[in-house]
Amino acid sequence: MLVVKDVSKRYGDFTALQQINLEFNTGLYGLLAPNGAGKTTLIKMLATLIAPSEGEIYYNGKNIIDMDEQYRELLGFLPQQFGYYKNYSPKQYMLYLAALKGIGKKEALKKIDDLLEKVALGDVVNKKMKKFSGGMIQRVGIAQALLNDPKILILDEPTAGLDPKERARFRHLLTELARDRLVIISTHIVSDIESIANEIIMIKNKQLLYKDSVEDICSTLRGNVFETTIDFDLLEAFRKKYVLLSEKQEYGKMIVRFIHKGVPEAGWKPVAPQLEDVFLYEYRDEIEGEV
Amino acid sequence: MRILLNEVKKIFTWKTMLLLLFINSLVYFLLIEFYIEYFPNGSGIYSYNIGLEKYGVTMDDDEFIDFKKVYDEIVDEATRYMQSREEFVAAGLDTYELFQAYDWGNPSQEASALRDDVFFGKKTELFWDLQERERLIEFYNFRKSIPEVLTDNQRDRLNELIAEEKFGVYTEIVIRNFKSYITNVGIAILFSVVLVISPTILRDRSRGLLQLQYTSKKGRNLFKTKLLAGYTATFIIITGLLTVYLGLYSLNNTSMFFKVRINTFIANESWYDPTFFQFIMLCVAAIYLIGFIFVTLSMSFSNVVPNMVSLIGIQIPFVVGFLIFGLNRLLPNMILIWIPKWLTPFSYGGMVIVCIIFIYYLIKREKKIDILT
Repeated sequence: MLVVKDVSKRYGDFTALQQINLEFNTGLYGLLAPNGAGKTTLIKMLATLIAPSEGEIYYNGKNIIDMDEQYRELLGFLPQQFGYYKNYSPKQYMLYLAALKGIGKKEALKKIDDLLEKVALGDVVNKKMKKFSGGMIQRVGIAQALLNDPKILILDEPTAGLDPKERARFRHLLTELARDRLVIISTHIVSDIESIANEIIMIKNKQLLYKDSVEDICSTLRGNVFETTIDFDLLEAFRKKYVLLSEKQEYGKMIVRFIHKGVPEAGWKPVAPQLEDVFLYEYRDEIEGEV
Repeated sequence: MRILLNEVKKIFTWKTMLLLLFINSLVYFLLIEFYIEYFPNGSGIYSYNIGLEKYGVTMDDDEFIDFKKVYDEIVDEATRYMQSREEFVAAGLDTYELFQAYDWGNPSQEASALRDDVFFGKKTELFWDLQERERLIEFYNFRKSIPEVLTDNQRDRLNELIAEEKFGVYTEIVIRNFKSYITNVGIAILFSVVLVISPTILRDRSRGLLQLQYTSKKGRNLFKTKLLAGYTATFIIITGLLTVYLGLYSLNNTSMFFKVRINTFIANESWYDPTFFQFIMLCVAAIYLIGFIFVTLSMSFSNVVPNMVSLIGIQIPFVVGFLIFGLNRLLPNMILIWIPKWLTPFSYGGMVIVCIIFIYYLIKREKKIDILT
């Protein structure tokens, strides 16, 4: 369906992405990497906002740049940050975008009401957006991405500014949407996608690290994740010795979760690896500690 | 069409309407009002249409003889008036000829008081009228003389006008007033369009709207629509302002001059010979052209600079430079022979070509540029 082939992106001397190869089909894909890893660059290339320095992106065998509006009419896109007209209401704003998406006014009006209802903004459709909170603006962004009933939905950090309740609602919405379309979500928040993504894509050192299901990615650390209880005084030394995944204080002691690839010591309890463990382990260069 | 309409609507906000009102009120009261409020001005109040109603749009030799005859009759009237007043007779100023020949560089107290009386007292109109008629007769007498300091082209054109008997016989008050008026209208319109249209493209870019706009079906073609919206808004603004300003100009009541050829106005020798009305239309066309040229420049800068301050800053030298060096040459005096004949077509042609190149480059650039924010 959507194929990224040998794609690299350079900004002058700086290489943001190198030789990326990916294939997307119907379903939900989570693009997971720390900030600055190149997620947004990849997303923007998929959205035709930036062009690859090398390689090409194909949709059903056709280069997406050459497809021009044929590709964009299949696309729904939510950027990490997007602009809006402060004096517009969500309805006016979405009508404006609907015109750009080639949707007739009548049809758009109906869709706008439905979508704003879906993102729980049904009661503020005619209020000026300058009075909206960050979360409300983000929900308008989500709604506009769905205006043209896109076959390809690309969302860059869509949960930024959303409270836990809104996040949960958003996850349900995405699960529903991903049934018959391609949904790509870029995020650095593991919990946003862990439970809903069909596949996770991880980028490291400008290259593709994983593109696999959550289970398969987690299995790479199977037998290497442990929990144990240590004295608070030993914590600093422990931190230096192992990749700590989490720390929790309990009854004056510390319960730590960590990774070790050698023979486990007595008292260490092996636990099932989670996606967040892999994330913390793989990006440990940017964190701290050794295996 | 809906997209174009949306983009035009984005330009015409309440803020821009207020800005338009502010700019035009300012320029109107500082620069324009005078040319409506005080027209005809000074001595011109008695003379601006001397001869026109009687002789029509041209004046031949026979008509000039008649004009002189009328002048002589008014001189007689002035003489009769002076003789009817004892003070004039006592001061030795009992004829208009004596009044004219008097040594006004060194006048007596009585003579000075009498002069003030005729120019600023009861018989004001008569004496001012005579002065204006004398000036017109003088110009008529020198109609076939050609100044020394001229280029070959200018001399040829003057000879051509003399051969065609197109002389400056009517007072220049009307054309001078219109030229001053239209120049200041040009300034008001130039500021209006530049300030209103300038932020058109920058606004969306700096607000981060391009990401959503360029990933829609319309995509980067929206840039062309934005340019078109800029030109549409420019057309609307110029048309609206010209309607208002030309409506105000109609208060000057100069329609009797509309059929007068512009070479028939004193000191207004031109490369071409349109009527006054055609010249007004020519100025209108030039204002549209100047507006479109500067709007192209504004939109080009709007697509490149990072913020509004630099957008205004970068345009100041262009606008001020044009106001100082270009506006007079390319608007009121665009066909005057004191401006080289090639200057106007070359300047406008050059600016139009530069604009086309700018637009071509911008559209091409926008197609490929990485949208990072």
